[in-house]
Amino acid sequence: MSEKILYALGGVAAILLGRNLLVMLTGLPDEAFQGAIFRIIFFHVPAAFTCFLCFFASLVLGITYLKTKNLRYDSMAVSVTEVGLAFGAANLISGMIWARIIWGIWWTWDWRLTSMLICWLLYAGYLVLRSAIEEPTERARLSSVMLIFSFSVVPFVFFSIKWFRTQHPQPVLYGEGKMDSAYRAMLYGNWLPLLMLAFVLISVRYLQERRQRELDAMRRAVHSL
Amino acid sequence: MTRFLRQTWIVMAKDLRSELRTKEALNASLSFALVILLLFSFAFNPTSDLTREISGGLLWLVFAFAGALILNRSFARELPNDCLDALIASPVSGAALFTGKALASYVLLAAIEAVCLPVFGVFYNVRWTQQPLWLALVLLLASWGIAVVGTVFSALTVNMRLRELMLPMLVYPMLIPCLMAAMQLTTPILAGEPVQGDLMAWVRLLIGFDIIFTALAVVLIDTVLVG
Amino acid sequence: MNDAAARNFEYLAYGLIAVWAILAIYVLTLVSRERKIQRQIESLQRMLEDRQGK
Repeated sequence: MSEKILYALGGVAAILLGRNLLVMLTGLPDEAFQGAIFRIIFFHVPAAFTCFLCFFASLVLGITYLKTKNLRYDSMAVSVTEVGLAFGAANLISGMIWARIIWGIWWTWDWRLTSMLICWLLYAGYLVLRSAIEEPTERARLSSVMLIFSFSVVPFVFFSIKWFRTQHPQPVLYGEGKMDSAYRAMLYGNWLPLLMLAFVLISVRYLQERRQRELDAMRRAVHSL
Repeated sequence: MTRFLRQTWIVMAKDLRSELRTKEALNASLSFALVILLLFSFAFNPTSDLTREISGGLLWLVFAFAGALILNRSFARELPNDCLDALIASPVSGAALFTGKALASYVLLAAIEAVCLPVFGVFYNVRWTQQPLWLALVLLLASWGIAVVGTVFSALTVNMRLRELMLPMLVYPMLIPCLMAAMQLTTPILAGEPVQGDLMAWVRLLIGFDIIFTALAVVLIDTVLVG
Repeated sequence: MNDAAARNFEYLAYGLIAVWAILAIYVLTLVSRERKIQRQIESLQRMLEDRQGK
């Protein structure tokens, strides 16, 4: 895919996000209990979904690499994980700011929060692990294994609000605490441009990674001349 | 199957024998554990009731730190004279090699725990023998978790520069569910309460952690070692 | 607008800014990586020209 299409997609995502921001500030009424701050959910939850989606994709890509030994999948895995980490950070920080108003504290050692933080740290560990290995195939192999191990925490994060008693609000998209349809529409409506943005970022990162690999190979060739 | 068990046994016996002859990891991690136990006493008043509330956490921090030292050596021990390559080239399967090494670390870790517990009881005035069976069960389950995850990552990081730093950095976040369950269980056990009701969820978590990571490790170890 | 509501709104602004800032920081790391790659290409080109010059 050419970079022009990517940038166009990014532009569309930005326009959609701007429009959503306008609508959520002017068109949607405040939530009865939380007031204005509840609007953070329109970023908090989609960011979490995007983050988990990225981590799941990185698991699939890691396994695919181990099956095929094609370094392209390793490049994809690292791009996806990095963007997932960015969205994970957005999720954590926005949640903390919401908690400051609603709970009165920035952080609580609640299962949902703790497991998300562990998950984030594990994937950050994946990036550190990569930086510690020079040889490309060994790096790809070991970091793919790390991806498989790291993913074991993700279901835990996802289901922790069902399995344990937590302070974190229960799911808003299904079950008893389902939100009003206008809010739900906004939540999905904001997730779409965020997903597009994630896709653009992943693609840009992937192109960079591929170029970096070619460059390394060329430099080795030049040195061996 | 008997072949697998025999190979596992041989690897484990080899590891334990070489460790007992040199005692390098054992001595280092035991003295390290004792030093940490000592240091904690300066962090807070060791005779207060507070100790009872955080005793589980203290104990498992010590075991986790000491465990990292043992696990670091697990595969690094095979580096001189290319022993690791010889082991991989030998007819021993990856799974047997892994299980043997994990068991060897497990035994060493259990030995450290056996020494640390009485010391902990004396220094911090904790009567730790009130629920011996539950305590033993938690120790066995959680130590197995530490040994399995640690051995895999020991193999993963063995060829890396900064190996000694990478191992704890990767292993501790991975171990948090296991350590958390062990801490939550150990505190009431040390206080003499039986494990029941809500606490059973933690036991289940420990068992689940052990099963999942043992399975993952056995499946992935060949990829880690050979590629 | 009372105090609590104003504070509520203020933190909403912080939250939105934080989310955007994080994504912007990630974009910046992408840009810096791009620069690094560009530099590497240039140095490689120079290296090749040197060798051809000899």
